[in-house]
Amino acid sequence: MRRATLAPAAIALAAGLTLTACSSKSPEPHVKVDGAFMPAPPTGEMAAGFFVVHNDGGADTLTSASSTIAEQVTLHTTKGGEMTQKSSFAVPADGELDFARGGNHLMFEGLKRRPEEGDKVEVKLHFAKSGTVTVTFPVKAATYDPAPHSSHGPHPSHESHTSQ
Amino acid sequence: MHHNTKPGKKRLLAATGLAAAAALTLSACGSGSGDGGGNDKAVVTDVSGGDHSQDKAVTVLDTPFEKPDLTLTDTHGKKFDLRKETDGKPTLVYFGYTHCPDVCPLTMSNIAVAKKSLPEAERSKLQVVFVSTDPDRDTPAELGKWLTAQDPAFIGMTGDFKTTQAAARSLGISVEPTHKDKNGKLVSTHGTQVIAFSPKTDKGYLLFDKDATVETYTHDIPKILKGEKP
Repeated sequence: MRRATLAPAAIALAAGLTLTACSSKSPEPHVKVDGAFMPAPPTGEMAAGFFVVHNDGGADTLTSASSTIAEQVTLHTTKGGEMTQKSSFAVPADGELDFARGGNHLMFEGLKRRPEEGDKVEVKLHFAKSGTVTVTFPVKAATYDPAPHSSHGPHPSHESHTSQ
Repeated sequence: MHHNTKPGKKRLLAATGLAAAAALTLSACGSGSGDGGGNDKAVVTDVSGGDHSQDKAVTVLDTPFEKPDLTLTDTHGKKFDLRKETDGKPTLVYFGYTHCPDVCPLTMSNIAVAKKSLPEAERSKLQVVFVSTDPDRDTPAELGKWLTAQDPAFIGMTGDFKTTQAAARSLGISVEPTHKDKNGKLVSTHGTQVIAFSPKTDKGYLLFDKDATVETYTHDIPKILKGEKP
């Protein structure tokens, strides 16, 4: 019978400890965006944008994007042969959010001009907690794909946060 | 076993409680921002995780596909009979649409760039056919403009969707009609493969998936011109 009281006590204690640890351990996200690019589109109809969000802190959410080059910038993900517009993308704590070719992309519609290779396009990424991050997207060749950069798999320095 | 009174067991039980509590609390922390919906690392890895090795992006089919009996309108507004026009010619076929910002232009541009590396005399042999899965928006003129920007020799076909869908299906490619998503925006589907037809047999014998790059096509197109396996 004593065991029965011991276990809940341990749980309560553990929960208390973990909660404390959780709230004191930087819930503030710390986002950094790199690898941004826009492939030169074939026409001035629409374009796509790609980037990687690195986050050293607590979770955040990418809620929208905007750019002076386009009337509308929307967030999409492609699965199989279909792309789906999404209202937001989670930026995991101590992780990254990858917008890569064939996966997630920004869609620029109502372009003011056709972006050409060598141009630079300014894009504002809006995050729920981190606010607005302005990123310069260089326009690259239509076939540009930085390929699977070494971003896959956990970062050694963050492993302790995600494993038990 | 619940009535074991050894102290060691008790510690184990408490430790289990701790671990469970920790796990619960950790997941509670992590799920605070989950409203983006399933875009965690697993998904990202799944999407772009395939390595770009040439072998993996290309499949040699044991049972080659018949070239579909497909007649639609080309970018000049004329009837285009795929079998007749590409008879005995090395041909690449892709199903896609122009209101597609990422995969469709990437696929066509990869082929366009690879084609440029062929000796000039060889270039005109290769037939590259883009079949629209969004015929309402992809008028011959619109399709022509989009394709010409990538390679003026690319052939565009557009017309009845059901006919297009049946042709795609005969090649193992599934495409859905253009429809409105929950935001009222039109969404179309593209194929995820490019099929190469041999000039020797007119059969579709090679399949390039979405991981095929410029390098993949540059390596394999000279083989396709001869109807050889890469």
